[in-house]
Order: sequence, then C-alpha cells, then structure tokens
Amino acid sequence: MKNVALAVLALAATALPVVAQQIKPETQIHLRQSTMALIGYNFGNLAAMAQDKKPFNKEEAQRNADILPMLAALPKPFFGEGTETGGNTKAKPEIWKNLPDFTSKLEKMQQDVGKLPEIVRSGDMAAFKKQVADTAKACKSCHDDYRAK
Amino acid sequence: MTGPASRIRAWDLPTRIFHWALATLVVCSFTTGTIGGEWMAWHLRSGYAILTLVVYRLAWGLVGSDTARFARFLRGPRSVARYVRLTFAGRHPPGAGHNPLGGWMVAAMLAALAFQAATGLFSDDEIATQGPLAVKVSNALVSRMSHLHDLGRWIVAGLAVLHVAAIAVYRWAWGVRLAGTMVTGWMDVPAGTPQPRMRSAAWAAIFLAVAAAAVYALVEIYPMR
Repeated sequence: MKNVALAVLALAATALPVVAQQIKPETQIHLRQSTMALIGYNFGNLAAMAQDKKPFNKEEAQRNADILPMLAALPKPFFGEGTETGGNTKAKPEIWKNLPDFTSKLEKMQQDVGKLPEIVRSGDMAAFKKQVADTAKACKSCHDDYRAK
Repeated sequence: MTGPASRIRAWDLPTRIFHWALATLVVCSFTTGTIGGEWMAWHLRSGYAILTLVVYRLAWGLVGSDTARFARFLRGPRSVARYVRLTFAGRHPPGAGHNPLGGWMVAAMLAALAFQAATGLFSDDEIATQGPLAVKVSNALVSRMSHLHDLGRWIVAGLAVLHVAAIAVYRWAWGVRLAGTMVTGWMDVPAGTPQPRMRSAAWAAIFLAVAAAAVYALVEIYPMR
C-alpha cells in the first residue's frame, strides 16, 4: 500500500504540473473541486468516527485513511495560471498573491493526512482523534485565508 | 434628577442567570468557532444552549416578570427620542427595568443570536462539522446558510462590543451603574416608583425545560428521522 501511495505521490509531483499546463482553466477548476470533494468525503467520514457521530469501523476507516494522502497530492497543480476566476470557483485571488504561503498550507494538510493511514492501522483511538483534529485545523487555516464562503 | 429614595427589585433571578449564562456562551461560541478543530463539538453544544436560552427568553418576554416583558420595554420612537435627548443632556431619567434605548438593544441582540443559531443549524464548514439540519436541505441552501453564519458572528460581536461600551459610558459619563444591577437585581429609583411584579422562578425553570426539550428534539431526534 505504502509503495503504491509513494508511486502515486511521485507521479503527481512530477507528471501533473506538466499536464496541468495543457489543461484549460475551466477543466483545472473542475478537477481541483472534484479532488477536494473526494478529500471532503473521505475525511468527513473519518471525522464522524473520530467525533463518535458514527461507530468506529476499522476497515472503513482504513480505506478512507489510505486514500487520503493520494487524493491530497492531486489538487495542487490545478491552481494554474488563468484559474483565478471561472466556473463556480471559491478560490480567492489571494492564493496567487501569496503562493508560497498557500503552498505551505497545502503541504501542511498533505503532511497531516499522510499520518492518518499508520495511525488508523495502529488502532490507537486517542492518537486517531488528535490527528483528525489537527488535520481539520490544517484544512481550516487554509480555507479561512484562501477560500471564499 | 432627585437622589435615589427607594430600592426595587428590577431583575428577577431567572433574568440575571439568563443574562450571565448567555454572555458566557456567546464568548464560548465565538471563540470555539474561530479556533475550529476539536473545539467544534463545543461550538455546536454552545449554540444549542444559546438557542435554548433565546427560546426561553421569548416565552419569559411574553409571560414573565414585568421588567422582562417585551410589551413593557419595547417603546415607540418618541419615547426613545425623548430618552436619548435627556440622557445625552446628562439628565438620565430613572426607570425600573430596561430604558427605552436598552430595550431595543435587547431585541437586537436576541434577534442576532436567533439568526446565528438558526443559520448554524443548516451550516457546513466543509471540513468536519455540519449543523444538525444540513442533511435536510439542498447543498445550495447549506452554502448560503454557512455564508450567513460566517458573517453573522460579526453582527453578534459588534452588538456585544456596543453593549459593553454603552455600559461603560453610563457608568463613567452619566454615573449610572448597570452591570451591578444585573448581578444583584436591585435598582435605586425615585420614591413612589412601584415595585414591578415578579413571577416565580419556578415558571422560568419550566419554560427553560420546555425550550431545552424542543431544541433537543430539533437537533438530536428530528435529523435522524
């Protein structure tokens, strides 16, 4: 699993930026929103379990946790030039004015979700709850600054 | 203005407890919502408590003690204008209960909190927290409600700052102590001012229990159906 994840990460890190340049802005917006929606679905399910809104199911949690690092690697290249407006994007223009800060916040989220697969596998519920909360904070710190409501 | 000649009970115990509980919860809601993360569970609980208090207060405003009643403290524009004129001229007219300006502040704060609680029920932060009724409506509506909830906190914060600033001005510019009255319930008034009728705190407890049950049904039982 880990090797697959690494392979996907490597692929995403190298191949996608090149591809993205050839993808028209409207499609980039669609792609980043789609990946965010999938991140939201998988993380939301973990959060529901972490907050005892639904019973913890290890198999299900592992599926959510394993796919998140791969999904988290996807949206970055889809914030290319010309995607500041268009479609129904909620991305704020501040992203492109503070690209290094935006990137570091996105990477913080990637690091946080990267810890989830191991923690779920370990079955340590306290660590799981804490990591889910930390990840939610990483999401929020970026959304607060760079996503319109 | 003549010196204080008698003391009356201006605020019943339920209203004083309500006031300080609400003040605490508003600070709690604002803070937890701003920090986010694991504090969001408390943000929701605090919001439910505020909704409960607002619903209770509406009942107490209709059938509670005299000074808690909307019909008594929501005055017409002429009363408000006269009150403002006298007060700003340094001749604060004493009266038992909310003054004509403060009465509308109460209404504004209750309305703002009702708005915050209502929009919060339908909100989704698109991270890990949903209001209990978000599952019941379209995503377009959830998106609008979340936006309004995000903006509404500044209305609440603005009113709270104005409220505290006004109390400071009354205290230091006009020599009127309001915060202490809300603690003890006693108010100094000119002789002859009738003691407002106070209703038993037992009724307040019953209204509060009914409000809590209604909010519980709305946020815990109804969404599961």
